[in-house]
Amino acid sequence: MSVTERQHTGLKSSRFTVSRGLITVGVAVVALFIVSAIVAPSSISQGAILGMLPFFAVLTCVGLGQMLVVQQGGIDLSIPGAVSLAIVVVSRIPNGDNSLLLPAVLLATGIAALAGVLNGVLVGLLKLNAIIATLGTNALLFAVVLGISGGSPTTTTRALRDIAGGLSFGVPNSVFFAVAALIVVSLMVKKTVPGRRFEAVGANPIAARATGLRVRTHQAAAYVWAQLLYCLAGILLAGITAQPTAFQGNSYLIPAVAVVVLGGTSLLGGRGYPLATVVAALFLSQLDQFVLAAGVPFAVRSIIQAAALAVGVGLYTINWAGIRARLGHRRRAATAT
Amino acid sequence: MDTQIEEVDTSVAVLSLTGISKSYSGVAALTDVSFDVLPGEVHALLGENGAGKSTLMNVASGTVQPDDGSIRVNGEQIDSLSPALAARLGIAIVHQHPAVLPDMSILENLQLALPASVFQGKGPIDEYATSLIRESGLTAHVGDRVDSLSVAQKHLLEITKALALDPKVLVLDEPTAPLGQDSVDLLFGRVREAVARGTAVVYITHRMAEVRQLADRVTVLRDGKLRGVAEVDEVTDDELLTMIVGRQMESTFPPKYTAADGDEINLVLDGISGDGFVDVSAAVKRGEILGIAGVVGNGQSELLRGIAGLDSFTGRIVVGGTEMTSSQLLEEAAYLPADRHTEGLMMSLTVRENAAVAALKRFKRWALVSNKLEVDTVGATLDSLEVKAASMDSVVSSLSGGNQQKVVMARALLSQPSIVVADEPTQGVDVGARLEIYRILREVSASGIPVVVASSDAKELEGLCDQVVVMSRGNAVGTLLGDDITETRIVQSAVTSTAHTANVQLASERVARSTPFRRFIQGDYAPSALLVGVILVLGAFIFSQNVRYLSDFNIFSVLMLVSALGFIALGQTISLLIGGIDLSVGPLAGFLVVVGSFFVNDDKPLGVVGLGILLMFVLAIATGLINGSLIRFGKFTAIAATLTLYIALQGLSFLLRDSPGGYIAAGYTAVLTTRVGPVPVIFIVLIAFTVVLELLLRKRKWGWRLRATGSDEEAARRVGVNIDRTVVFAYMATSALAFCGALVLMTQIGVGDPAQGVSYTLSSITAVVLGGTSLLGGRGTFVGSLLGSILLIQVLNATTFLGLTQMWQYIFQGVLILVAAVFYSVARRRRKTLV
Repeated sequence: MSVTERQHTGLKSSRFTVSRGLITVGVAVVALFIVSAIVAPSSISQGAILGMLPFFAVLTCVGLGQMLVVQQGGIDLSIPGAVSLAIVVVSRIPNGDNSLLLPAVLLATGIAALAGVLNGVLVGLLKLNAIIATLGTNALLFAVVLGISGGSPTTTTRALRDIAGGLSFGVPNSVFFAVAALIVVSLMVKKTVPGRRFEAVGANPIAARATGLRVRTHQAAAYVWAQLLYCLAGILLAGITAQPTAFQGNSYLIPAVAVVVLGGTSLLGGRGYPLATVVAALFLSQLDQFVLAAGVPFAVRSIIQAAALAVGVGLYTINWAGIRARLGHRRRAATAT
Repeated sequence: MDTQIEEVDTSVAVLSLTGISKSYSGVAALTDVSFDVLPGEVHALLGENGAGKSTLMNVASGTVQPDDGSIRVNGEQIDSLSPALAARLGIAIVHQHPAVLPDMSILENLQLALPASVFQGKGPIDEYATSLIRESGLTAHVGDRVDSLSVAQKHLLEITKALALDPKVLVLDEPTAPLGQDSVDLLFGRVREAVARGTAVVYITHRMAEVRQLADRVTVLRDGKLRGVAEVDEVTDDELLTMIVGRQMESTFPPKYTAADGDEINLVLDGISGDGFVDVSAAVKRGEILGIAGVVGNGQSELLRGIAGLDSFTGRIVVGGTEMTSSQLLEEAAYLPADRHTEGLMMSLTVRENAAVAALKRFKRWALVSNKLEVDTVGATLDSLEVKAASMDSVVSSLSGGNQQKVVMARALLSQPSIVVADEPTQGVDVGARLEIYRILREVSASGIPVVVASSDAKELEGLCDQVVVMSRGNAVGTLLGDDITETRIVQSAVTSTAHTANVQLASERVARSTPFRRFIQGDYAPSALLVGVILVLGAFIFSQNVRYLSDFNIFSVLMLVSALGFIALGQTISLLIGGIDLSVGPLAGFLVVVGSFFVNDDKPLGVVGLGILLMFVLAIATGLINGSLIRFGKFTAIAATLTLYIALQGLSFLLRDSPGGYIAAGYTAVLTTRVGPVPVIFIVLIAFTVVLELLLRKRKWGWRLRATGSDEEAARRVGVNIDRTVVFAYMATSALAFCGALVLMTQIGVGDPAQGVSYTLSSITAVVLGGTSLLGGRGTFVGSLLGSILLIQVLNATTFLGLTQMWQYIFQGVLILVAAVFYSVARRRRKTLV
């Protein structure tokens, strides 16, 4: 840790702080990889890791988007529609024609921004409940998905498969996109003026309003940024899977919420933890790989996920100090008698 | 001055407190206070803010346990007084903040808060309730939603609840504060009637005029100590005033402003009025601090919010020669709110982040915030304010109250404001830090930035301010200058004021035009009526396009689908009514079907089938129990808890069956699909369930408790609802109804398929929202949820008959839910502004 020294004798500021969520999921990931190595060595073979990383990258993007929304005290249920739509737009519209890929990507981005604005207006400005508003948007997004694709899967365009599904320096390209997303989100939230304000609004909208910040705009903006990240996730997914279906996004809603919660961001809003969210995404992705390699029923994955979620939330919500104090008190009382 | 202690025969006192002491973390709130009330007297309790009046009455009503002293009720020694025991002994207290449930009607509020015995043998319940509220001067209809009442009307309702119990001791805590003249007269009349019947009344107030009008005896507290007890007729106003004022100086103050020739006026308030204050004027010179005095809640905070640009106002505010609008003030003013925890600080952020948030643009280098610049600037300011913290990156909630306040001030200074507005800047701040805060405010003022300080502590204003405006009930009742600014003069202006809430918003005694039609439109059933209309119109349209729509087969299959969704939606309604949500209903229903597929088969004897269904029920109840326990005892949010169960149940389904298997017995399916004409019997059962639940919701304590919990948890707790039990029970009921849904689902899926059922979570939420149930809790109907389920299934079914693609299903769903949400939310908002 580097410490910025000032001339004054007063308060110091350290550059880097590590959140409790990051420590928790960090330890969990390390433990998981150790267990993987012992119990199912094939789950950490090069092939397994290379197979896992692209899906980790997709989950990272989706998770970061959900984190921005949750940070503002909201929740975004439109992930399935958003991811599916991005997939359909970038695979159906070029339909194998590489030259149409870029326009398709731009179109997908544009639609994502529109969907984000719709969510933002409904939740941020009209003050609708986030669950209802994003549920409605999700249905509309799926309508567009079916309108474009008719519900049938399309083969991915070769250029996209090379870009999103290929390897550079032995690492799947999608990972670079995910890391870029992490850096951009972290930098924006921690180092820019709007980002810092955004964080303050999430931490306490009432106090933010009293300091004169534009609370509603920031809350609405969360949904727009989130949609752009879902769009990136969808584009990556379209490149990774050979023949993506029209409902590919469905399986990402629950994991997206799970990684945000595991990363330590409260569902009531507050500070968001991008790095911890990404580490949590790595945890869940490796968990899949481990379960697959260990040969246990796939269902075990869900149950471990649920347990991890319960433990993750419990770590933050339950007043452990109070319980410890009470237990200690009882023990002391017991020894006294 | 000597304290006057009257010798009264306390042996006949209804309530007698002797030698009560209470301290909070070392700070004495009450020291050796004795107080007694005789039957048939009004005993006024007088004193400044923080004198200990409310603490004393909380001791009397059992909500606070004293450290020392004894309590006697009707001459009997009470060892430990609980709120429940106090209520049984006939001690009723009317709090300053009424414990009323906004989403419920007046009648329901009364029925929930009062024991059933109050209404027994009194004829029709709503007539009796009407007579009760009329006696308190509440002119609304008993069917009106409390939400639509004015603040004053809510107080009258609270008073009604207390009087209906015919209490032996009635404690009124500042009851006239929000009331207009008419209501005050009515209230006084009611108090006199109660006294005539022998009720002892304790009347907490700040106003001497009311003491004179109403009270027989008066007790004065100051700094938690008894200052005197007197017969009202035998004591003069001056004597009372001397007892009230004269607090110990806790702090010294920096020297005041000394006039200099070059100092021009840099802040003018010209007749500003707003929500909660009227016609306040002042002109302040450079270097002067303007104080706003008055008892808490007399419009000072509202005035300050107006000056800070947070609320709108009429009139002119001129800062440093330029007239400013609300939005300019919001940008230019630095506001230090009284409530640091909710409005002042982002408690989860660090000291540095809190201090810097209003000044971030100053630290910008290129596109990014420069860490060095920020740390240097913020650090320098924090140093100059002598903020004590472990580091700049300490979470602000770990600081002491005084240091937290200094962080708020650091933010204000860093934002380079044109004006500083501070509401109760030293509340909850230790003595040492107070002096520093005064010093800082003085320095800011001397630098030419106008400073406005509101405080309920007259001594503080005496020491700090150069001009003081005294507020009472929203009016400026006096302006004090120079040597006139003394605690005595300030308190005198406030307590001798007879001004009544002149302000429109505060007084809003306007009676809502309450007609049966209006009540219906505002009521919970309006969405249901709307849905019936939509369902009929849509049905007629589809029928006109395709005659087969109303064929027996289609009616039957649609109603079967409705039945499965309907039960689950009824369950979801319960969770939403308490202000929660249950995401696990879909996977639960799917899981139960999988469990059932092991038992309910053709080759199994009847006993095994029955056992299987019993097991399904037990598992459902267990799920609800876990959901509720995680939420109440694990402090999970409803989403986190039920999401955990969502994932776990889905996993369990796949664990039991990794692919579809286990055919459901044909006999079972035959029973469940029995029909009367085209209508399945199970649908009729669903309707019966809906009707019974609806009646429970409206007419029984079970339903009131659910809605009370969702409406306002704190108020519900105060009227005696056991929140933990209500919530856990609600989630168990939700799961039980998901079990009913699963029974229907078994016939539809016909096999144990682990992938099925999940979609019912979102469709059940959609159906309930269409039915008009609010996701905020407290408001909704089961009938609406049933109709919402019908409409949802109808829309999905419509596409087949209209020859539309699957795309249209999604369009209809999306548009339906968004239109419903916007429509209901706009309708609800308008209702608030109308009344």
